[in-house]
Amino acid sequence: MNIDKYTDAIKNCRFCFMCRHLSGIGNVTFTEADTPRVRASMIYGVTMDPEKMADKDFIDTLYRSDLSRACCFHCVNHYDENSLNIAMRTDLVEKGLAPDYAKAIAENLKSSSNWEISGAAEVLYFTDRYTLQTGTVAPAFDAIMKKAGINYATVSGGCIGRALKVLGFAQDAKAAAEKFVSTVKAAGAKTLVVSNPAAYELLKNDCAEFGIEVPFAVMHTSEYILSLGLKAAKAAGDIYYLESDYLKNYNDNLPFPRQLLAAVNANIKPFGTNNEESYTCGEGAVLLPEIDETLVAKLAAYIADRADDPANDKIVVASPYTKIFLSKYTKLNVATLEEVVAEVL
Amino acid sequence: MLSSKDNYMYEMIRTELTDAVGEEFVGTGNADKFGHSVDYYWIPEMWHDRGMPTPKPDFVVHPGSAEEVSKVMKIANHYHIPVVPWGGGSGSQGGALPVYGGIILDMKRMNKFIGIDKESLTVTCQTGMIARHLEWRCNKEGFSTMHLPASIACATIGGFLAHRGTGVLSTKYGKIEDMVMSLEVVTPTGEIIRTLPVPRHASGPDLTMLFLGSEGTLGVITEVTLKVHPEPEAREFRAYIFKDFHTAMSAGAELMRSRLQPCAIRLYDEEETIHHVRRVFGMELDKGAYLVFGFDGPADIVECQMRRARAIMEEKYHGKDLGSKGGDLWWQNKYKFFYPPFMFHIPQAFGTLDTVATFANIENVYHAMKKVVNENFPQARFIGHFSHWYEWGCMLYARFIFEGENVPEDPAEAAALYNRVWDMAIRAAIANGGVINEHHGVGLKLGRLMKELYGPAMPVLEGIKKQLDPNNIMNPGKLGFKGI
Repeated sequence: MNIDKYTDAIKNCRFCFMCRHLSGIGNVTFTEADTPRVRASMIYGVTMDPEKMADKDFIDTLYRSDLSRACCFHCVNHYDENSLNIAMRTDLVEKGLAPDYAKAIAENLKSSSNWEISGAAEVLYFTDRYTLQTGTVAPAFDAIMKKAGINYATVSGGCIGRALKVLGFAQDAKAAAEKFVSTVKAAGAKTLVVSNPAAYELLKNDCAEFGIEVPFAVMHTSEYILSLGLKAAKAAGDIYYLESDYLKNYNDNLPFPRQLLAAVNANIKPFGTNNEESYTCGEGAVLLPEIDETLVAKLAAYIADRADDPANDKIVVASPYTKIFLSKYTKLNVATLEEVVAEVL
Repeated sequence: MLSSKDNYMYEMIRTELTDAVGEEFVGTGNADKFGHSVDYYWIPEMWHDRGMPTPKPDFVVHPGSAEEVSKVMKIANHYHIPVVPWGGGSGSQGGALPVYGGIILDMKRMNKFIGIDKESLTVTCQTGMIARHLEWRCNKEGFSTMHLPASIACATIGGFLAHRGTGVLSTKYGKIEDMVMSLEVVTPTGEIIRTLPVPRHASGPDLTMLFLGSEGTLGVITEVTLKVHPEPEAREFRAYIFKDFHTAMSAGAELMRSRLQPCAIRLYDEEETIHHVRRVFGMELDKGAYLVFGFDGPADIVECQMRRARAIMEEKYHGKDLGSKGGDLWWQNKYKFFYPPFMFHIPQAFGTLDTVATFANIENVYHAMKKVVNENFPQARFIGHFSHWYEWGCMLYARFIFEGENVPEDPAEAAALYNRVWDMAIRAAIANGGVINEHHGVGLKLGRLMKELYGPAMPVLEGIKKQLDPNNIMNPGKLGFKGI
């Protein structure tokens, strides 16, 4: 089974409470089941009695996780309950036990993939569904590129694999990733820039796990824009930066978003009470809104409750996903990194 | 007991509970029931590890207010259903296990931060708040509860109150019972009461203290006002190695008798110094006993107290100074002991035999417990440290550990072995002036020893229980009170 690769997480997380305070979903549903401890314990139960895999409540609990990986980042030994959860989902898929909603989402992702590249350039910008859905991120990136005088092309048209992977459809995820990578390779791009941190995760880490060579540089927009060395015409001022699960917890606290904000003279104020909880509305799960959007609304409300001055605070996020759902369910004033930079150049 | 959805009374009662707290907040799913069937007590962990069924509640109810708790109590009384309050589930004594089924009252929805009174230096919150979240909230305004146990990440404030918990800075700031101003409590029959607004008075016996440590057997604590403290200007630690445990204990006791005010003292016996401190700190230490202490507050007062404390350690007891670095390492790693793989874990069998006694008795308690474990269970290892120090004595955090190969595979045999260790070690503590427990509570694990500890006073406790909870719905079978 795929979970066998995560025996250390099963054994060490199943009775451990030390990341309880960072259980994103658990903190809004208040249930013990929505914690790494209980999920790992239940998976341990499956190792003893595989019939437990078929329990609907067990399956729904796994699929309800926000997969923030805040627990793993916090843990002194970085036991990875998140990857264990995804491995368990993969086992469910392989045994034909994936829930209907996951199957439907996966089918939709697989059938709607149709890559299109506009233009030709060494720099290719990936506009995924969430980046496009904001309606503001891609234009902000475009404004920055015009200011820098850099020609670029765009690629868009489907799921590159991360969403399929977190749903447990590993083989489909690998196929999607291969197709995307070959598309970009065929376009001759030397650098692929992504706004969506989930895409960054797939290209940086998942592809290596799948054994897919990525023959071009992959950069998150924060890293890429920072590399341009642009000078801000005015200061970005006081902002609250909400970390991305993927850039912080999955990628060892990637420094570029904060460095970029510092480069445009933003005064980053501490949001809420800590920098450990995930304030992303479930970015790690990629498609949590399609599984249970009420949970996303609760996660957003949890974040808004922690704002100093919800009506006036300027919230900056790295993830288009977070912008969409934080804006949808709260009155917070949310901008992405690209928007903040475009505004001050 | 209801337990089966085939029983139509199950649905009748579920309907009433949903009417009280809302459909969304009455859980009957297998995952949530399972989550409440294993806490941090070794027996249920072992039971689960061996593939045995763990005791599950019939309903998991998440109340949102004291009024909702009251409604649940009235329903439970009407149908005579057990109610077991549950905070973070991190208790090590089985105190929150639903051993008779019934209702788990998971308090985490009652997590409102109500506010800080900056004039009186108090904070008020609902008791379902996770302690780390409360501490972070206080820190944002420049304060601290100074209640910083290893379980801060997972326990709720209510959990601390229910079993009289303690934290690493207890030597200066006290245990949780020293920090409480007042409580809101829902009694087993559903009345919502408040204890007096201040803890120092001459207005009759202290009801606050009646509920602290009652482990959910006398009611549900729903709101609390605690003291808070300004974040200190300075906090400094220093560590020493002493030639043996006795010398280190004498030095620690002298420090307390000097009436200096350390915020923490921790003394590890020779065994724990070798096997645990060195491993967690990654530090090369000489043979002997490691002692660390610290002071906090205004910088000049910290400096003065540290100077006088160092004189005690070095001039009178000839401790080898590990410097501030040796002390800071402990502070920085104080929770690391509790993360896997540093924490003991199954297949090992392990337990924390914590007790407390006066300085006159504490070494006798330590040696008596160690002797009884070593002589009767030679396959076990006994280690200990002394965590919480008072003007008159200190707490022994003793542990026994069986490596996996020495633990019976049969779960009943493993549980029997485990209970034998507890019975013998705790009786040795009581015989030498110790008590059943210092800050983890009694729960299911030690209830059978309560009559021995309290003797003729036990009926007084039982009378209070009977008066407050005539139908015995509240956490039956815990704290030495009768089961169902």
